[in-house]
Amino acid sequence: MKAKSKWMAILLVLGLIIAACGDGGGEDDTTTTAAPAVDTTEAPTETTEAPTETTEGEMAEIATDVGVDLDAGTISVGLLSDLTGPFSPLVQVIVAGHDVYWENVNAAGGINGLEVVLNTVDTAYEVPNHVQRYEELKDEVVALGHSTGSPHTVAINNDLQADGILAIPLTWYSGWTDPEINSNLLHHGINYCVEAHNVIGYISETMDDISTIAIVTWPGDYGLDGAIGAVQAAEAAGLEIVYDGSGTVIPGDESTLTEAANAVVGSGADMVYVVTNPTDFASIFGQAIAGGYEGLWTGAGPSWNPALLGSPIAEPVAASTIWSGYYGSWSSDAPGVADAKEQVEAAGVLERPNSAILEGFVEAMIMHAALEAAYQAGDMTQAGVLAAAKSLENVDLNGLGPNETYVGDANTQLQRVSASIFQPDLEGFTSGENGGETLLVENYTSGLTADYDFTGACFVLEN
Amino acid sequence: MLYTRYEADQALMNTGTKKLMFGALIAIMLSIPLGVLPGMKFLAEADWLRLLSMVAIFGIGALGLNVLTGMAGQVSLGHAFFMGVGAYTAAWLGAAPGPLLGIGLPMWIWLPAAGIVAAVIGVVVGPTAVRVRGLYLAFVTLGLVFVGEYLWRNWDTISGGSQAGRDFPGFAFRLWKEEAPLIDFSSPGPWFGIELSSQAKTYYFLAALLIVAVVLVKNLQRTRVGRAFQSIRDRDIAAEIMGVNDFKYKLVAFGISSFYAGVAGALFAGFVGRMIPETWGLFLSVQMIAIILIGGAGVVTGTILGSVFVIVLPRIVEDFTGWLAGVARSGSGVSAGLADIFVSTGSGDFGFVNIAAGTAPGLSTAQLNQILYGLLIIGFLIFEPLGLYGIWLRIRNYWKGWPFTY
Repeated sequence: MKAKSKWMAILLVLGLIIAACGDGGGEDDTTTTAAPAVDTTEAPTETTEAPTETTEGEMAEIATDVGVDLDAGTISVGLLSDLTGPFSPLVQVIVAGHDVYWENVNAAGGINGLEVVLNTVDTAYEVPNHVQRYEELKDEVVALGHSTGSPHTVAINNDLQADGILAIPLTWYSGWTDPEINSNLLHHGINYCVEAHNVIGYISETMDDISTIAIVTWPGDYGLDGAIGAVQAAEAAGLEIVYDGSGTVIPGDESTLTEAANAVVGSGADMVYVVTNPTDFASIFGQAIAGGYEGLWTGAGPSWNPALLGSPIAEPVAASTIWSGYYGSWSSDAPGVADAKEQVEAAGVLERPNSAILEGFVEAMIMHAALEAAYQAGDMTQAGVLAAAKSLENVDLNGLGPNETYVGDANTQLQRVSASIFQPDLEGFTSGENGGETLLVENYTSGLTADYDFTGACFVLEN
Repeated sequence: MLYTRYEADQALMNTGTKKLMFGALIAIMLSIPLGVLPGMKFLAEADWLRLLSMVAIFGIGALGLNVLTGMAGQVSLGHAFFMGVGAYTAAWLGAAPGPLLGIGLPMWIWLPAAGIVAAVIGVVVGPTAVRVRGLYLAFVTLGLVFVGEYLWRNWDTISGGSQAGRDFPGFAFRLWKEEAPLIDFSSPGPWFGIELSSQAKTYYFLAALLIVAVVLVKNLQRTRVGRAFQSIRDRDIAAEIMGVNDFKYKLVAFGISSFYAGVAGALFAGFVGRMIPETWGLFLSVQMIAIILIGGAGVVTGTILGSVFVIVLPRIVEDFTGWLAGVARSGSGVSAGLADIFVSTGSGDFGFVNIAAGTAPGLSTAQLNQILYGLLIIGFLIFEPLGLYGIWLRIRNYWKGWPFTY
């Protein structure tokens, strides 16, 4: 094409665009002038003064906006869960825990006569889905009972702050204790970083023959948070890091699993600290064992799934791994655990005992405390529930987990107690008697953890 | 049709009906957030507006892929790579300076730049299409996706690192880095006197971009370049013999397609706000291919239909299952019984789809979505290769000659 006609063509295209936009604009004018203004922003705050027929005279004075319906007597709580993604076996059980807990609470009268209804949605552990689902839920629920995934929770954090909604992250990322991030988040349980301090501290304090360590983790907030904690703990305990595979195991890339397994075998470390999901852990473990590795394995809680005791690697896994739990263990004698076990067995939701269901109970109990406090304060709007939650001091989980506090500086709020450190129990698992756990110690804090000064997240999630 | 002028013959919308339909469609698109359409008021809610915004974004990306695969006939599975390139270019240029790469330039720079950088890389990749075609080209472009995944995972300073991700610049019209943008999409407020939520404003912005993209691609079909693409698609050797420069036009096709992909990627990332590098993977490419196959390859209307179908389908399946569960729970009657067979409300209750998470039996709605997705792609390829557009054609042709439709 000659230069002149090329430029003519470009001008014509531009003219076409303007013409098209102009037509669209014309239509716009004719339709919008007739349109009434529709407010599509969040629901307005209404103070209900309904003369309810319930016996609670205070009900008439409770302020509500979204998610709480005093006339119908329901409170709506949302759950952003991973039901089909990499952590789905864990999260499905946790959601079942929520269901059982609220069923029993509702049967006993609910929260001062108000029933809690759960709105569970699946995000498949993908950030765009998570954000989309949050947008769907934020106009229907009063708070989020859990939000699965650290980058996912960070992605909605700005929106949570702008909308004034409370969420409980279903992750144990160390940043949730950081006051610059957590204005709308309730951390619960020990975080990945401090968990490593506790577990490695316990192992080095109780076992004499451990002097070298290998670290194998996923990248990202989950993997690297634990990795940094493991490195800090190893240095404090005087362990030599013979293989540092922090962030080298890529989810979905199986060649990295083989590399990690080979590296572990080659390093000959006395112990390995693994932060991945159970499937990847099983693969690395199996390949390393096949390569002749005989050391001790441990790692972050979500790397373990008791179902591994039903797999071909059951025996070696039971013999050479140790794990810690954020929440109480099925084998624990604490009264809260016994109550929870009774409720779970009565509901019949689990095929075999699984301690992970207690995490659902813990989250639900914290939400319960927040909702109750909000009710007592007379403000069950989204902002009211958030404010009530942030004023909770010393939430008693009745032995299901160490007590939580949300008042005070970061060092006061930081959870330093691992609810349990246990060894897998193959017989207990196959007989269905317990969750496949033999408790080594409960409510443990290592020396390093007790002295730990929280100055910020171990692994910083950049924005 | 009898045309008496060349311009009428070559017009973008050559019949009165087309003009009418186009106008009506634009009118509907623009009035959706205002909630005035009967029966479609629910579309004005924030979550539906977000879905429709996503339809617009994926529509723009799929239009690019349609130019490459539908018009020029070059099979490409690498669309997600170009979307990633566009998104990270936008992040580098548009995100505020901080620990990760970012300069903080305004949107009128980063959005076109995202497209241009992706287009340049597309042109670099283009020569492979001259060497191989069909299945082998699909493999080559698939390789691009994996190269991209590795690149984003390891280039921490631009992507934030695997599983961690980074924030992407949102939509706002600024002149140059000032605090308060000229047009702000992130807070509710009045436009032309009408109160709009931030989702509505974002929807309008994306819908406008979609309209521009549709017009450009539709126009492309009747230009010399477009005709060259179609001749290459039909038989590239014959086209070369006739004098269509095969090499040049394949490069142009990759360039144009990657431009759209880059812009769509930047919009996608900015819309969601935070992305992990794993997002730009094979599944995103497959979604794009699904959109054009389900909608109808080579046809602009088909792309839009396909985009609506693919993005809105999961939501419809969920709402439908939820409604079925409500019917099943309501107790008695034939419809309740039928619904109960289909839906399971918890362990012990038989059903194909289970709405109670974590309990057996049955599929969760997300699993049902994934299965439907695959079934639809296979079904459309076998039974209706022209996709949704083909179905529309059949309906239209049936009624054209009605009642003499034999």
